[in-house]
Amino acid sequence: MASINLHGNSYEVDEDGFLQEPDKWTEDVAKAMAEMEGITDLNETHWKVMNYLRDYFKQNGIAPMVRKLTKDTGVNLKEMYELFPQGPANSACKWAGLPKPTGCV
Amino acid sequence: MARTDIGPPDYRLMLPETITSNYGKWKYHEILKPGVMKHVSETGDELYTVRAGSPRLVSIDFIRDICDIADKYCDGHLRFTSRFNIELMTPKKENVDGIIGDLKKLGLPIGGIGDCISNIVHTQGWIHCHSAATDASGLVKSIMDELYEYFTEFKLHAKLRIAVACCINMCGAVHCSDLAVVGIHTTPPKVNHEKLASTCEIPSVIASCPTGAIRRHSDKNINSVEVREERCMYCGNCYTVCPSMPLADPDGDGVAIYVGGKVSNSRKPPMFSRLAVPFIPNNPPRWPEVTSILKKIVEVYARDSKKYERLGEWIQRIGWERFFALTNIPFTEQHIDDFTYATETFRATTQFKW
Ligand code: SF4
Ligand code: SF4
Repeated sequence: MASINLHGNSYEVDEDGFLQEPDKWTEDVAKAMAEMEGITDLNETHWKVMNYLRDYFKQNGIAPMVRKLTKDTGVNLKEMYELFPQGPANSACKWAGLPKPTGCV
Repeated sequence: MARTDIGPPDYRLMLPETITSNYGKWKYHEILKPGVMKHVSETGDELYTVRAGSPRLVSIDFIRDICDIADKYCDGHLRFTSRFNIELMTPKKENVDGIIGDLKKLGLPIGGIGDCISNIVHTQGWIHCHSAATDASGLVKSIMDELYEYFTEFKLHAKLRIAVACCINMCGAVHCSDLAVVGIHTTPPKVNHEKLASTCEIPSVIASCPTGAIRRHSDKNINSVEVREERCMYCGNCYTVCPSMPLADPDGDGVAIYVGGKVSNSRKPPMFSRLAVPFIPNNPPRWPEVTSILKKIVEVYARDSKKYERLGEWIQRIGWERFFALTNIPFTEQHIDDFTYATETFRATTQFKW
């Protein structure tokens, strides 16, 4: 199992960089992960999406469908890719500390 | 930023001149000999096609070798078929023997056209996929070695399609092929309770199970799931959605063999393939038990079928009890469907053969 160092703290991650210890997530983790993908300042909409993902996961135990995510946040898929370089699953969910998407991705 | 959403290149830019000028004007075609076809156009133009087998999984050097042949005889053009075969086309009849000679120098068999066993549609196996219950390339090589002569010669009354899938996700065409080999497990998943909650979405895991065998862990303090093993039929779907439920097992994994599927609408409607052999353990690198059963089925079918009759049509004519008797395959409890629409597969008639 790999680990990454973010601002002096070490976190267990899988080979794609998804957090393996969800309890350790903080906003700083999200910021540091975003930085690794070249996004240095997270704006309000970034946080709206990530907070929505975290809340939804806490309540339902799953990540929302893309349609649900765009409808509830008002951020359409095109904007989603502008905010999160690798899209809602590989960037937004990863930065928000959700488990890695599975299935025939 | 790099340009995105540009789609594949337009296929019309890559057509040989004879195809461009005769597009949509073909009059008829003939199969001249195994692996060689001639298409004749209304304009009188002719196009010769040589088809060769390929292992599908190839190196770039291999592709360059094929390109060299295309440069030499086909103005740099070639194509791949929907069963991963290679086709080299030329308007010049005198080029055909040269193409065949050069393909044979690469060790490639010429054939796969007409009433024969063409290439095997197959998957990733142990080369690349995490959910495989068997290998793909290894099995395919073993089967094609055993049935080689059926690729290069006309020895059948109709086409016989073979497909291999390394798990019951059935990527490819196993569910609609004359003969199909599918990787299956025979042991339930082992749940990693420590990792499960941080790597999996529990509701998705529960919903992934076709038999409802998965439920939340009965101990409220453990944030994980339980498998009711008597309900599990080892499909591995839960592992696909949850990496903390592995079930691959070198001793328990193996293959099942299915028969009688087809996709074309000629004569009879398309059919699903159906279970012939419930389980054969993996036996790499040559899977001798699998190849010998497949060969047996092919030989009996080749002998007993009528002209144009696909394997599934042959079984429909003679009946399943004759199929099992002729091929010496034992009929077992596992052959009897027990899933959602099982009753439709039971026999609701007094008609049968002793
Ligand atoms: S059939 Fe199963 S194991 Fe094989 S490639 Fe498809 S998903 Fe992977
Ligand atoms: S292997 Fe298939 S049947 Fe068994 S628990 Fe998993 S999903 Fe259910």
